[in-house]
Order: sequence, then structure tokens, then C-alpha cells
Amino acid sequence: MNLLEILSYGFIQRALLAGTLIALLCSVLGVFLVLRRLSLIGDGLAHVTFGSTAIALALKLYSAMSLLVSAPIVMLASLGILKLTEKGRLSGDAAIGLVSALGISVGIILASVGGGYNVDLLSYLFGNILSIRSEEVVIAALLCFGVMLLLTLYYHELFAISFSDELAKVSGIRTSYINAILVLLTALSVVLAMKLVGIMLISSMLIVPAASALQLARGFKVCIVLAALQGCSSVIIGIIISIMSNLPASASIVMVNLLFFAVACVVRRIIYPKNSN
Amino acid sequence: MKTALSVILVFILAGASLFSAGCKQQAEVAPVAGLQVVTTLFPLYDFARTIGGDKAQVTMLLPPGVEPHSFEPRPEDMIRISRAGLFIYTSKYMEPWAEKIVSGIDSRSLRVVNAGERVPYQPGGSHEHEHGAREAGGHKHDQKGMDPHIWLDFANAALMVDTILDGFVAADPGNAAVYRQNAEALKKRLDALDVRYRKGLSSCANRTLLHGGHYTFGYLARRYNLEYHALSGVSSDSEPSAERMAALVREIKSSGSNYLFAEELLSPRLTETLAQEAGVGVLMLHGAHNLSRDDQAKNVTFFDLMERNLVQLQKGLQCQGK
Repeated sequence: MNLLEILSYGFIQRALLAGTLIALLCSVLGVFLVLRRLSLIGDGLAHVTFGSTAIALALKLYSAMSLLVSAPIVMLASLGILKLTEKGRLSGDAAIGLVSALGISVGIILASVGGGYNVDLLSYLFGNILSIRSEEVVIAALLCFGVMLLLTLYYHELFAISFSDELAKVSGIRTSYINAILVLLTALSVVLAMKLVGIMLISSMLIVPAASALQLARGFKVCIVLAALQGCSSVIIGIIISIMSNLPASASIVMVNLLFFAVACVVRRIIYPKNSN
Repeated sequence: MKTALSVILVFILAGASLFSAGCKQQAEVAPVAGLQVVTTLFPLYDFARTIGGDKAQVTMLLPPGVEPHSFEPRPEDMIRISRAGLFIYTSKYMEPWAEKIVSGIDSRSLRVVNAGERVPYQPGGSHEHEHGAREAGGHKHDQKGMDPHIWLDFANAALMVDTILDGFVAADPGNAAVYRQNAEALKKRLDALDVRYRKGLSSCANRTLLHGGHYTFGYLARRYNLEYHALSGVSSDSEPSAERMAALVREIKSSGSNYLFAEELLSPRLTETLAQEAGVGVLMLHGAHNLSRDDQAKNVTFFDLMERNLVQLQKGLQCQGK
């Protein structure tokens, strides 16, 4: 089918618009998370969303209403992950694993003994980038704006804690406060974006652009800009590829992202041949 | 650490409270009287409880609202199956886990019935009224591409009733006459339902059944000469491509239909997106493999669901007469 013709459909335009906004949001947050060694927090919080959606559906709250239950629970869980890493002598990956296991087992228990549901849980859990509604584009834009604003306001503090918590603490930054802001923003993004684009996209958007940018960038700001560029362009290129070659959109976007990463690795070897290890 | 602990506590408490609520509901395990029958899906449950009448205790494995593919048996389910005389499932396409469960049960008295064994299976995602655009949908390459929703063709449902009856008679020959009589009455009702559908769908302004979800209603469409277009194939894991979505929007527009159908129990997100794009309404059809919790509480039957579907179909396809 003709590319221009498909681009005239509303759902494709919304996918491009909301997808780009969410990519921007996730790739910028991702740089901080990858440096803080919390890369998998997206996956972990998604599992908690599974548990919280089970609670929401048991209470007969569907679609947008289920966020009223999910968002607070997932935000609490993200703080839980943070506290476990700060005070529980656990590394980030172990803390994420612990909370994610808790979330998914609560979901499974509820799904099998909660007296059943009126709808299928899994079908309500994940969004599809091709099924975004107009009002959800606005939500994505607001979320993106809010996160960007907070990141600008706390840029120096976030920069400091990304490299060394101790150093940041010594220089007088309230690290636990800043860390909490970072994970709460991530939690909010994961809960909302999961409904819009599905978990596979969020998780890869958080990690891959940041990972590629860290291959190439020598400065922190350059790194953020590169990650954002990759995130946004992979959404646009991925959707166009999915239209032209008739593939599912989200998987195409992930593949384009990974391709960018591979290119970044090769380019790094060419630009910085000496310290390529 | 305190905060972390309290977060975890909130989770566990929330889980536990719902858990105990669930346990109370499950507590009334059948008192041992008559033939114990365990079924997997709703149509089998409804047919089996009709055939069994008051001579058998029929239970259904799938909790309300749960998708057959994502089911995992609980210990109590396993105990119930091991105590049962009859275990009825639809097919390896619908409940891939059924054969595994049964092979793990060590009971000589358990008789296993594959209710769909006499049914001529049809592939899902391709059918007589194939269109070029559908071929491009890519869902014909499904490996386990057989459409498992066999009960939506009422002649198939009658074949399933026969197979289930054989199971009952073999497991409890003493009550064979009662079971035969009940099965006969059930098949008469299926016949009558078939006639109602045939009449109700005979003169419709539109004969294209457009479904914004996974291929489900192929048997129904085939039986009543409707053209059936689904968004995606039988496999619930596949995701539709942008091109397939655009193609369906064009199919809706060119069919002149005012409604796009969605399947009950599943999230209507994609269907609503497509309906909005094409400027049509959304109507719900029931796949009947499971009930919602509310319908279960109301003790809804297979026939109730099918009557609901007929009303929706007549509205969506603009059919004359009743």
C-alpha cells in the first residue's frame, strides 16, 4: 500500500506523534537510569503494573480509571526499589528483581483466586502504538513537558548523582530527594506509556538510546541529545518501515533502535580507536 | 528501609485480602454425589451440566474472565480433576495445557474426553471469501492456524454434545438413559437456535461481518453465509501491522457497514481506534469460551450468549425480521 496514503490515517499520525513524545521522554530519563545502574527499572515496574492492574480490574476499574490504582502503587514500588538500594545493601538489579517478582506474583495470585474478572487481564495490560487516542496524545505531551521541566530544573543535581552518589552527597546535594524524583518520574512514565505503547517499547526506549549515546558521547549534554535523537528517529523510521514491509510497529521500532546501537559501537571503534575497550 | 517495608506490606496485604476473598468463593467444593465432571471452557461446561442433569456434578476450570491460553491450574484444580470421573476439554488448539494436566494426574478411573474430536476443523484467518488485502495481512502463516472456536457453528456444537454424551455413558452406564434423553433435548435446542439464526440473518442489508480483533467468528460467518474479516489471525500473540489496520478501515468504508464488532472480555482499544477512524460504531459479540464474573453470577447459559450475539448481529448487519 502507498506510504502517503497510510500516513493520511489518523491512527498512524497519532502513533508518530505520541510515539515521538514518549521516545523523547524515555530516552532522556534512560540516560540517568542507565548511569545509575537502574536500566531494568522499566521492566520491573511493568511487572508491578501487572499486579496493580489485577487489583484495579478486581475493583472493576477499566482503562483510564485503572490508572488511579496503578499509578500510586507503581510509584510506591519505585520508591521501594530506591530504598532497597540505599538502605537494604542491595544493588539496583537485585532490588528491581525483588520488587518485580513481588508485583508479578501478586498479579498471578489475584488472577487465579480473586474470584475471576469480567475481562481478560492481559488484554487490558498492554497498549499498542497503533491504538493511541487523541486525548492520549495530549497526556503524552503533558507528561513529556512535565518530565523535561523537572529535568531542566534539577539538571545539575541529577548530573551529580548519575556519576557518584557519595560525591554528590559531599557537595551538599540532597541525593535521596533527587533520586526519588528520578524514580517517581520513571514510574509515572512507565505506567502511562505502557497503556499507550506496550512494555516492550518502553523498556527498550529507556535502555537502548542511552546505551548507544554512551558509546559516542564525551559530554553529558551531548549524550542526552544523542539519546533523544536516536529515540525519536527510531520511532519515525520504525513506523515507516513497519508500513512499507508490513511488520508489527513496536517490534520494528525496537529493531531500528538496536541497529542504531550496533552502528554506534562501530562508529566508536572508528572515532576512538585507541580506547575502544 | 521502613518505607520499603511498608510498600511491600501494602502489596502483601492487598494481595492477601483479595486472596482470602477468593478462597471463600472457592470453598464450596462439590459434595460427593453422582458422577464428578470437570470441564475446561464454558460451552463444554454448559453442555455437560445440561446432559448430566441432577445425576452429575459439573465444574468448570477456567476462572471468570481469564483467557484460555493464560490459564494455570491451582492445586485444588488438580485435586478436583484427580477425584473426577470425567475430564472434558475442547482441543489442543484451544487448551494446549489440558493434555499436560491430565498426563500429570495419576487416576485410573478418570476418563478424558476431547470434545472437538468429531468436528471438522477449519483454518482460521482464511476462508471462502478471501480478499487480496487479507492475504497481505500475514496471518495465514500461523503455524497452529486452526480456528478453535468450533462451538460457534451449532452443527459442530451438536457433534460436541454427541462426544460429551459418549463420555458420560462410558463413565456412568447406569444413568445412560437419562444422559441420552438430556443430550437429545439439548441438540433439539441447538437445532432451534440454528433455525433462529438462519431466519434472523437471512435478509440483511449488509453481509460483511467486520471484526476489529483476533479471528474468532469464522465458523459462525461460514454457516450463515456472511463474509468475515478479522483484524488479525487466530494466535493471540500476533500484533496487527499498520497496513492491515489501514486495509480494515478501507474494508469497513467500502462495505458500507455502520458497525465494527469487538469481542467481549477483551480490551476494545484497537477496535475503538479503527471504528473511530472509519466513523462507525462498535458492537460487542461474545466468543463464549468463558464468562465474565457478572454473567457467571447471573447463571447465564450458552443459549443466552448466542441470543445476545444474534441481537447484535442483526443490529450491526441491518437485518430484517426477527
